[in-house]
Amino acid sequence: MRIATPLLALFRTLVYVFLLAPIVVVVLASLNAGNFLTFPPQGLSLRWFWTFLNNDIFLNAIAYSATLAACATAVSLVLGTMASLYFTRHAGKHAEAVRIAVLLPLILPEILTAIALLFFFYEIGVGTEHKIALFTGHVLMTLPFIFLNVNTSLQGRDDSIELAARTLGASRYTAFRRVTLPLIAPGLSTGAVFAFIISFDTFGISFILKGTGSAPLPIQLFDYLRFNFTPEAAAVSTVSILMTLVLVVAADLLFGRRD
Amino acid sequence: MTEVSLRSLQKFYGKTAALKAISLDVNHGEFVSLLGPSGCGKSTTLKCIAGFEDITDGRICFDNKDISRKLPEDRDIGMVFQSYALFPHMTVTQNLAFGLEMRHVPKAEIAQRVARAMEMVQLTPYADRYPKKLSGGQQQRVALARALVIEPAILLLDEPLANLDAKLRDEMRGFIRDLQKRVGITTIYVTHDQNEAMTMSDRVVVMFDGEIAQAATPEDVYNRPASERVARFVGNANILDLPIARTDAQGTTVTLPGGATLQITRPAPSGQSRLRVMARPEQITLTSADLGQLPGRIEKRYFSGGHVEYSVATDCGPLFVTGPTTQHFAEGDSVGLCFDPARLWPLPDAESAQ
Ligand SMILES: Nc1ncnc2c1ncn2[C@@H]1O[C@H](COP(=O)(O)OP(=O)(O)OP(=O)(O)O)[C@@H](O)[C@H]1O
Ligand SMILES: [Mg+2]
Repeated sequence: MRIATPLLALFRTLVYVFLLAPIVVVVLASLNAGNFLTFPPQGLSLRWFWTFLNNDIFLNAIAYSATLAACATAVSLVLGTMASLYFTRHAGKHAEAVRIAVLLPLILPEILTAIALLFFFYEIGVGTEHKIALFTGHVLMTLPFIFLNVNTSLQGRDDSIELAARTLGASRYTAFRRVTLPLIAPGLSTGAVFAFIISFDTFGISFILKGTGSAPLPIQLFDYLRFNFTPEAAAVSTVSILMTLVLVVAADLLFGRRD
Repeated sequence: MTEVSLRSLQKFYGKTAALKAISLDVNHGEFVSLLGPSGCGKSTTLKCIAGFEDITDGRICFDNKDISRKLPEDRDIGMVFQSYALFPHMTVTQNLAFGLEMRHVPKAEIAQRVARAMEMVQLTPYADRYPKKLSGGQQQRVALARALVIEPAILLLDEPLANLDAKLRDEMRGFIRDLQKRVGITTIYVTHDQNEAMTMSDRVVVMFDGEIAQAATPEDVYNRPASERVARFVGNANILDLPIARTDAQGTTVTLPGGATLQITRPAPSGQSRLRVMARPEQITLTSADLGQLPGRIEKRYFSGGHVEYSVATDCGPLFVTGPTTQHFAEGDSVGLCFDPARLWPLPDAESAQ
């Protein structure tokens, strides 16, 4: 069955509109000159960006979220790569179980993962102290993205490449560093970008596990919007959209299209 | 001098035996092929020698030293994989230099040795290319050069030609053989292609089901197979099951259907009334119907360039015969088959045909 080309084009356009409209709305709303978060904006200005840049609460929240995302991504990179190597090479008949276990945080509703972790950390007497629960939650949430991307890099790769390195005199570790690591680098970088964005953006996990003290950006925004309804929130969102965009483009320029 | 020695080498994967206590000695500079059907344990043998698999029992000795517990990187081997296993993120030069870097060879010497290896496999113009930009045959030569540039004591090859087209395969066959002779390196070559094994090797090791069925020169494996299964696996074999007329000092006399007798100059396995003998297709000649030792009728005729192949129906079952193109028999012709008793090979104990 063939679908008429104009119909297909229309459908494609609708999908894009559906996906991009919220972003456009937020960006436009952030340029609002008025005092309330409205759409369409009442006049254009950058005053809310200025307000935001002078608001320590949001700046701190962004810094905090970025640090959290960076640390979670770093730990996920190590754990995810190890999980992926085990999954593709050694898991044998347990492969499917391993895959599901690692992907579970992605499959389950985020709130379930969050509540499970909350119970667990209270049970072992840690609670939400020292951001241990929060950090664990973020690692769990980001792990699947590293795992999936490294899997893609490893699958279809010839296992004998590493063996060849061994016969040429490389130790297990050297063979990994000189041969396997460069080959999975694209997967690692794509995975890292995803992981960072997911961690930066995630709400449920952070909301339930954050504990006292400073909070990640999404929580801070949520708190703010409960009592204020100014375009400053849109300005914050626009800035984080821009940051994400820069990250994705930079990663693509650095690591994309190498293969 | 024995370079590689496998002593009762055993390998189990879980409960399944991939290798059932095989023993094999490979001499210095020898080219030995492991030949056998899929799943017979050829690759497993090679992996054990390379150190990729822990062996279950037995020993592997290089130069009479037990290396069974050594890591692959400490075994002084060069290996060529069926998939070539070139490092895709390195140029040809970098691929060749890798092994030398691992051995901490000085930079200047690396450059020199890589250049020499590249010349040896005629790849100098491709020095800076990435493997993906090379043809299958060229990748194959890079893999070979990479394994040889470190000057290992032993070269292992696992079906290195399986991914090449027929013409290139023939070319590479000669190339590898020449190179091996020139370098004089002890070589173990895995293949399931009997032609490859025959033409390249000093010795062919035929394996079935994790066991060595025969280890002998290509001529012996072909003309004097140790079993019917070897006979059938290596080339075409006509097996005739004939009654024994008598056994004496001259050998064994068997009777063909129709009454003609053949005296085989080798004693038959004792205590049997029948003998199974093998005749290769080119060891049977076709003549006119009234002259042969066994009458037959041409069922099928295939012209194959250098010679003609016939399938001939006889009272011993269908026999496969090759003849010169100067001789012409048509399908349906009645013919006589002649055997050269000196070239008939009595098979040991009758076993069921596989
Ligand atoms: N990693 C493994 N785990 C379990 N069984 C294995 C493993 N590797 C090989 N085997 C089994 O061991 C036997 C020998 O395998 P091997 O790879 O040595 O065969 P081969 O002779 O090289 O065959 P091919 O010509 O198909 O490459 C086979 O029955 C195979 O199923
Ligand atoms: Mg194999």
